[in-house]
Amino acid sequence: MTELRRTPRTRTLRSRFTVALMVGALSAVVAVGALAQSGSKSPLIGKLEGPEVVTDPAKAPKRLKEAPQLAELVKAGKLPPVAERIGQDPLVIKPLQEIGKYGGTWRGGFTGPADFWNGYRCCSGPDNLLFWDYTGDSVTPNIARGFEMQDGGRTLVLHLRRGMKWSDGRPFTADDFVFWFEDVYRNKDLVPTPAAAMSINGKPGEVQKVDTHTVKFKFPDPYYLLPDVLAGSTALGGQAHQGLNGMGGYAPAHYLKQFHPKYISKDDLDKKVKDAKFDNWVRLFLFKNDWALNSELPVLTPWKTVTPINTPTWTLERNPYSVFVDTDGNQLPYIDRVVLTLAENLEVINLRAIAGEYDFQARHLDLGKVPVFLENQQRGGYKLYLDPGDYGGDMIIKFNLSYEADPEIAKWMNTADFRRALSLAIDRDQINETFWLGTGTPSSVVPADSNKYNPGPQYRKLWSTLDVKKANEMLDKIGLDKKDANGYRLRTDGKGRLRIEIMTLGGQFLQFTQISEMIREQWKKVGIDLTVQEVERSLAFKRTAANEQQLGAWNNDGSEHLFTFPNHVFPFDLSGVATSGPLYGRWFQSSGTQGKEPPARLRELMEKWKKAFGMPEKERIQLGKEVWKIAAEEVYIIGVIGLGPASMGVRVVKTNMGNVPSRQYNSPDGKTPTISRPATFFWKK
Amino acid sequence: MATKPDLALDPTSAPVHGPRAVAAAEEQRIFVASQWQLTWWRFHKHRVAVASGIVVIGFYLIVLGADFLAYADPNASEAQRSLMPPQAVHLFDGGRFRPHVYAVKGARDPLTFKRVYQADPNQKIPIRLFAEGFEYRFLGVVPTTRHLIGVDGGLDAGKTIFLLGTDLQGRDLWSRLMYGTRISLTIGLIGVSMSLVLGVVLGGFSGFYGGVADTVIQRVIEILRSIPTIPLWMGLAAALPRDWSILQIYLAITIIISLLGWTELARVVRGRFLALREEDFVVSARLVGCGQMRTIFVHMVPSFMSHIIAATTLALPAMIISETALSFLGLGLRPPAISWGVLLQQAQNVQAVALSPWLMIPAVPVIIAVMAFNFLGDGLRDAADPYGR
Amino acid sequence: MLAYIGRRALLAIFTVWAISVLSFAIIQLPPGDYVTSYIAQMASTGSVVTEQEAENLRIQYGLGQPMYVQYYKWVKLIAGGNFGMSMEWRRPVTEVIGERLSLTVVVSVAALFLTWVLALPIGIYSAVRQYSLGDYAATFVGFIGLAVPNFLLALVLLYLGFTLFNAHIGGLFSLEFQDAPWSLARVWDLLKHLPIPALILGLAGTAQQIRIMRANLLDELRKPYVVTARAKGLTETRVIVKYPVRVALNPFASTIGYTLPYIVSGSIIVSLVLGLPTVGPLLLKSLIAQDMFLAGTIVLLLGVMTVIGTLISDILLVWIDPRIRLENT
Repeated sequence: MTELRRTPRTRTLRSRFTVALMVGALSAVVAVGALAQSGSKSPLIGKLEGPEVVTDPAKAPKRLKEAPQLAELVKAGKLPPVAERIGQDPLVIKPLQEIGKYGGTWRGGFTGPADFWNGYRCCSGPDNLLFWDYTGDSVTPNIARGFEMQDGGRTLVLHLRRGMKWSDGRPFTADDFVFWFEDVYRNKDLVPTPAAAMSINGKPGEVQKVDTHTVKFKFPDPYYLLPDVLAGSTALGGQAHQGLNGMGGYAPAHYLKQFHPKYISKDDLDKKVKDAKFDNWVRLFLFKNDWALNSELPVLTPWKTVTPINTPTWTLERNPYSVFVDTDGNQLPYIDRVVLTLAENLEVINLRAIAGEYDFQARHLDLGKVPVFLENQQRGGYKLYLDPGDYGGDMIIKFNLSYEADPEIAKWMNTADFRRALSLAIDRDQINETFWLGTGTPSSVVPADSNKYNPGPQYRKLWSTLDVKKANEMLDKIGLDKKDANGYRLRTDGKGRLRIEIMTLGGQFLQFTQISEMIREQWKKVGIDLTVQEVERSLAFKRTAANEQQLGAWNNDGSEHLFTFPNHVFPFDLSGVATSGPLYGRWFQSSGTQGKEPPARLRELMEKWKKAFGMPEKERIQLGKEVWKIAAEEVYIIGVIGLGPASMGVRVVKTNMGNVPSRQYNSPDGKTPTISRPATFFWKK
Repeated sequence: MATKPDLALDPTSAPVHGPRAVAAAEEQRIFVASQWQLTWWRFHKHRVAVASGIVVIGFYLIVLGADFLAYADPNASEAQRSLMPPQAVHLFDGGRFRPHVYAVKGARDPLTFKRVYQADPNQKIPIRLFAEGFEYRFLGVVPTTRHLIGVDGGLDAGKTIFLLGTDLQGRDLWSRLMYGTRISLTIGLIGVSMSLVLGVVLGGFSGFYGGVADTVIQRVIEILRSIPTIPLWMGLAAALPRDWSILQIYLAITIIISLLGWTELARVVRGRFLALREEDFVVSARLVGCGQMRTIFVHMVPSFMSHIIAATTLALPAMIISETALSFLGLGLRPPAISWGVLLQQAQNVQAVALSPWLMIPAVPVIIAVMAFNFLGDGLRDAADPYGR
Repeated sequence: MLAYIGRRALLAIFTVWAISVLSFAIIQLPPGDYVTSYIAQMASTGSVVTEQEAENLRIQYGLGQPMYVQYYKWVKLIAGGNFGMSMEWRRPVTEVIGERLSLTVVVSVAALFLTWVLALPIGIYSAVRQYSLGDYAATFVGFIGLAVPNFLLALVLLYLGFTLFNAHIGGLFSLEFQDAPWSLARVWDLLKHLPIPALILGLAGTAQQIRIMRANLLDELRKPYVVTARAKGLTETRVIVKYPVRVALNPFASTIGYTLPYIVSGSIIVSLVLGLPTVGPLLLKSLIAQDMFLAGTIVLLLGVMTVIGTLISDILLVWIDPRIRLENT
């Protein structure tokens, strides 16, 4: 390849066209920049809104109503009446716009049996015990009617709903929690390693039954974060999410007992395993507790799986025992069925969405195709929305702080000014315009200004502007001032040019490789030679785990919920395709017994984070802000573009679907669109 | 094998003048012409093959002069030039022959989200021949800044023309296409050479010695052909070491592709050896006392050389296509390398097809190259054995 | 003759065994295993699989054991008629493949049919009118399928189908017929979806067949009996069609065997782009996910089909053409 070399020839602006082009380009940049900086970016981004859960029992509707086909079944004697099915404490949701009408099918697309999050995000209810309100900010009751923290944060009491039933009509009580805790969670075959969510400061907690409708989660130390954990997409985040791993917090005891060695004889169980063609009872059990795979599984979600995810069509139908109702007493969901059809590849899904074959689809849609979507809106009968995320990094670059293979590179990556200089050398506006079509925000890693852990608006741009001059100065100052004939900085150990390598994955929601290419051209201006290496997923994972990668490109979605999703904030653990220090992650997870001890400032960050888990909300927020402050100042991770809609933020909705918000809180913890309560979506005839 | 040409003539009754004399003289030429001359004449009859040959030579000239033909740095990105359509070249300016393009301004339309470009007819940028551009080494030796075409002040990547438009990152497509041509065609050559060596050696062994060696090699070939190529590629590509540079990976890719291509060549060679083994001239060579090596290389190989050449030429387009397929799967060359496969991969999406169709232009040289090689190979094969049939 | 068949069959069995080992090895070549692939996939959709969960999964799937143990387990399963459980689909491998097999065969047969329908006339014309303009034009059409990058073509056709004809995007059935039971209407729906895949796939194979047909026919046309037939006054068409073409078709019978693996797998890339529910994309995805049993079984299936196909071809060849028989014994 050719090197671009700047000759000492002076460029005189003599031709008019040069001036004109520059003026034109400049004005375009200014216009785009203005659009990007302004809050209301474009007509595609609406106002954050969503339905609310009504917790005041006095406001609960007196009379309950149901869908016509269910009423038919009640009349025919096949179903108990609706009041009996829902119980005395329905989960009341105030629809966003209006009371809806029953009926219809919601069509979507998914990519295969691994695309579990697709149906989970749209149709699982949520069935968390507690859940976020539509702003993603505070935790409200959900499956549990109410909750309180007792004993200095050591105990969380959950009040269940009286008369609430599983989808097969059997009662949902505290016994389901005890069964889960004693027979599933504590069974070493089903759950070999205990979950971090079920312990605080390394000490495990327990689940206890108080009475039929009251459950306690007890911990030896204060665990104020527990409600957040129950509300998020964590190991305790409900059956739909975690049943297949033997987690979730509760499980249908009456159903699963028939697959558990404690309750049936070994011979019976072996026969069942063999009939189902599994290897062992563990696989059978977990299969049976899988919301997406087992259509006979009793569930609490508004829709339940009818044809499972491992067939060409994943169909879900209304759950007649759904505990969700609207403020008028109508049992939710309004929409009868959800049909997800298999598409073999992403272009096909996008094309189908463009053609209007999907009714509500926010997953797998490519931001780069927005112009084509817009072009076909009328023809397809849908409207396009953009839901920017609240996290600071739709694209981030992680430094592997615990890198060891090349001591010179390791030294520089652990030098704060090196990282800062590289961050200053990135022209974020260019990247925003090209890959985000201008809808992102050039940003450091900190979450949105509205996020409660945001340390302050000045951190948005900290070390995240374009300042090539300063970057060059900083690099010169730290000792990288010698350059070779082509202008690249030389290593201080005499081994030639300083080359660093970034590892990217292809085929993601974002084109990390192409963006890295652009950054490579930009870093040439500060004399850094960047090699871009695109690798397969498994290979990426392997290299990360082996501490072999230098830089990694990824995104930090979820980090807006700092305490439930810390993986992209600091080296939290070894999972994932890019961590900022696998050895440090191991140190953190093993409480210091394995791995390598991180340097002082990083340790400080980790300590603050750990401490906050047990602190009440106010103190925790304060610690969270400090965590982000350190992260933004030290630039352990470079934030490139944030608060963007690239990751599941491109949404098409048919124009005649009602109760759909113009903007949703886009977050994995919010299981968007679950946070907008899809059970309240309906078809306007 | 060696049969006489169709018309036999009795030399003693040969006429001296007139059309029959001309015909006779013609025959005389055919009789005394060498094998290569006959091959050429036969080849010459296939017009399209000849034309294809010229096209192929043209391609390889591009390979040599890619830097010269490109006028912009293929990696210079600029968001404000993203997805610019090809610029129209105006040949006449007020009656005089002065090729130029109009300056272009672009912005993103906030309503349609498309990038819209306006050409300004008042800003004319003249196109210069042998203009100055970025620096490179011609043929890898001579440092220079001259390119075939360009504009004044062409050292700045922002001030050039864009004959084929730009890609998503605002990089000039024409220049990228030049470099892509170089890499795609050289992969083809290297891969085919390796297939050739493997094919001739193993096929020759198999055909000449027969027996156990033949059976073993045939079985190996069969096993290799039974395994679907894609899993093999995936496995091999994923097993490549991490710290190889783009160049090394590219070499490894060619090796991988050629590892599967040699089987076809081996079959042809084996078939030829089997057929030739029993021929009179081979038997006589052995009887006369020629060593095995001499028999093979001096006597047998030249007689099927043309077949080999034909088969090789036909293997090249398969290499090109494999390279594009590998890039599509994400296994072959990847950005920041530039090849036809990489360029096509960047056009393989709905927005390119719908909004920026010029991104699909790299498919054109692929089509032309594959067709040209195929016609050329066919012509060569038809002409391969002028005594034959 | 029988001895020849016997020998080949024996060798075939050995080849199949070698293929099974190789397929398994190839699947395992990429680093990591199903769990790493699963984790990576989860990571790219924003969810986190902790190290603990990963370990649990590995234990459950039995992935911690060395490769030869896993291979041995697989062979044992196959011997028992069970091809294992697909980790990604959580269903028996036979079910997953079986579901797609019939459709794959339909698409492949349609493509092959198109190939032959196009290739034979072009090959014949090309041989008869060698070096004419028509020859060049016809072979040009024949080769274009080979030259055009068919994944790009597939995408373009998909898009054009939608914009110009409002066609349903990809797949082989419209939404309402996706899961419906077989009926005349469903068959018609399938036929409506077949042309694009069949065209793209069919065109790709024409070049090879044209060559073979042309070469064979040219061989025949130079033979003395053709000259005799002409001299005796038969019309040109009869001269060509009555004997030479028939004889030239003989070697084709043997190439049928080679199409066997193709029929079963279909094309991978084009099927992927067009979103066809065939075995091809299934293979690709299982390779990426390192779904051992599924990928291994499909690769083994293809290998076996190839071996059987070669066997059939060789036997047919020997049967039809006595000269080869003599040469081989």
